[in-house]
Amino acid sequence: MISLKALTKNRFKSLLIFSSITIAVMAIFLISSVSQGIIGMYSKMIKTDGDIIITQKGISDTFFSNVDISLMDKIEKIEHVSSSYAMIVGASPIGHIPIAGIYGTTANHFSHYKLSSGEYPKKSEVILGTNIAKQFATSNINIGNREFKISGTYSSEIGFEEGGVVMNIEDAGKLFNRSASFILVSCDSPNAIDEIIKKISALDSEIEVKTTQNFVKEYNQFKIIENSSFVISFLAFAMGLMGIASVMSMIVNSRKEEFGIMRALGKSRLFIIKNLFFETLVMSVSAYLFALVLSLGILALLPHVEMLQGYVNGSLSLHISLYVLFSTILMALFGSLIPAWIASKTDPILLINQGCA
Amino acid sequence: MIKVSNISHFYGVEQVLYDLSFEIKSGEFLFLSGESGSGKSTLLSILSTLLKPSKGELLIDGESIEEISNIDYFRQSKIGFVFQFHYLINYLSVYENIALAALENKRQNINKVLGELGIADLSSRYPNEISGGQRQRVAVARALINEPKIIFADEPTGSLDSKNSTIVYGLLQNAAKKGTTVVVASHDMQIENYATQIIRLKDGQIL
Repeated sequence: MISLKALTKNRFKSLLIFSSITIAVMAIFLISSVSQGIIGMYSKMIKTDGDIIITQKGISDTFFSNVDISLMDKIEKIEHVSSSYAMIVGASPIGHIPIAGIYGTTANHFSHYKLSSGEYPKKSEVILGTNIAKQFATSNINIGNREFKISGTYSSEIGFEEGGVVMNIEDAGKLFNRSASFILVSCDSPNAIDEIIKKISALDSEIEVKTTQNFVKEYNQFKIIENSSFVISFLAFAMGLMGIASVMSMIVNSRKEEFGIMRALGKSRLFIIKNLFFETLVMSVSAYLFALVLSLGILALLPHVEMLQGYVNGSLSLHISLYVLFSTILMALFGSLIPAWIASKTDPILLINQGCA
Repeated sequence: MIKVSNISHFYGVEQVLYDLSFEIKSGEFLFLSGESGSGKSTLLSILSTLLKPSKGELLIDGESIEEISNIDYFRQSKIGFVFQFHYLINYLSVYENIALAALENKRQNINKVLGELGIADLSSRYPNEISGGQRQRVAVARALINEPKIIFADEPTGSLDSKNSTIVYGLLQNAAKKGTTVVVASHDMQIENYATQIIRLKDGQIL
């Protein structure tokens, strides 16, 4: 009760703390969820259409991988292999857009991209994702130093694909000077996957064969994104913590007289600490909820921002929400308890006199 | 009620009280007088347990301050304060300010005490909504709520006009008549009319 009254009395200071917590919490939310969104989109691209992925051995990124596409003929003869397709993933300036994703794929994978208009691309043709298509009113586009005819548009649930261009793997091969970035293989029996991996591995010493599940789990780029996101979230958390700690120490300083009076009236140190902690907790949790709503709003808007071409997406998982809630409570704990403890152990008359000064 | 033995106090290297010893009996109205810088406020803070003395021993109601395990409860149950600038908490109403100081079993007396001090109608008002004299009466009500054995007042009329000063002294005198020990530190020599014991301080020593 006293805590709530103190919060409404110190409106400006309460607003300062509320804002610093909201910004810190939003930063953690957005950084974590955008990085998780990026990982989620790419994982989905790889996981949805295959059980096994074949990449070039010793290459950490699919963008630089080069696998011999002719392996597909041998792979499709292996027992329990139901289908396979190859893909080249690259990025290049497209028309006036400085960079966009380019997906070159074998014809048997075109059906993955749901046509909204036109038809699937033939030689020297491309289809455009819904997001990037909004930026081109022409019938031809330049990619690299070549001109391609736009044969149609497609939609996809994956933001990366919505903002990209799909073409024949042969055209993509000439553009990026490679055979295939990876080959994805589907099996008709989950029990046969290990055996199939062994057989494919035996076909070429220059390839690395993994289940798509394991590939996603071990993919270095995801680890880099996750680690970077963790570091940036931690920095946002630390900045939030320092912000709260400094604002709280300002508040404790400006309220020394009040705490001194309370101590003079016989209120214990614990009473003061509890009240300050409760004040910060109320602000932190309300700032958390406010930041959650704002972040959800921003994350919902991100895929529709034309400039981002749908590449920046975010997913807010329960795991992230709980992690941020825990971080927020930690910020409140450390930010308020230390100055409160210092104030509470000072002689009451000194607090009163310092408060008057 | 209070026994002071060889108390000295330093702020850093500066000594402000020199080896003071005296006793205050129960029900006394003690006037601590002295010029600014004489050490009376420091002595009052030490007597009221708000400040630990650098040296010496203080006994209150037979208990050594050093040996009291729960000084907060001791202060709340046995000591009442009236400060010069009332020191009410601005975001609490008059009633809540008194409730903050009140022991659990004394809360039902808040309205009665406010009535006795003639400020019952201010109960729901906030400190910034009442006059200086009314605030100081609220501060006295807060000091009286737990029926303490001792009331300490530091310049209780320092910010009041003579009419309100007389009211506040009257209230403190009534408390003393009921058996409460009252210790007042002040410049105001008018208190001599109410005091039953006077200690004059100069440069941290009793004259």
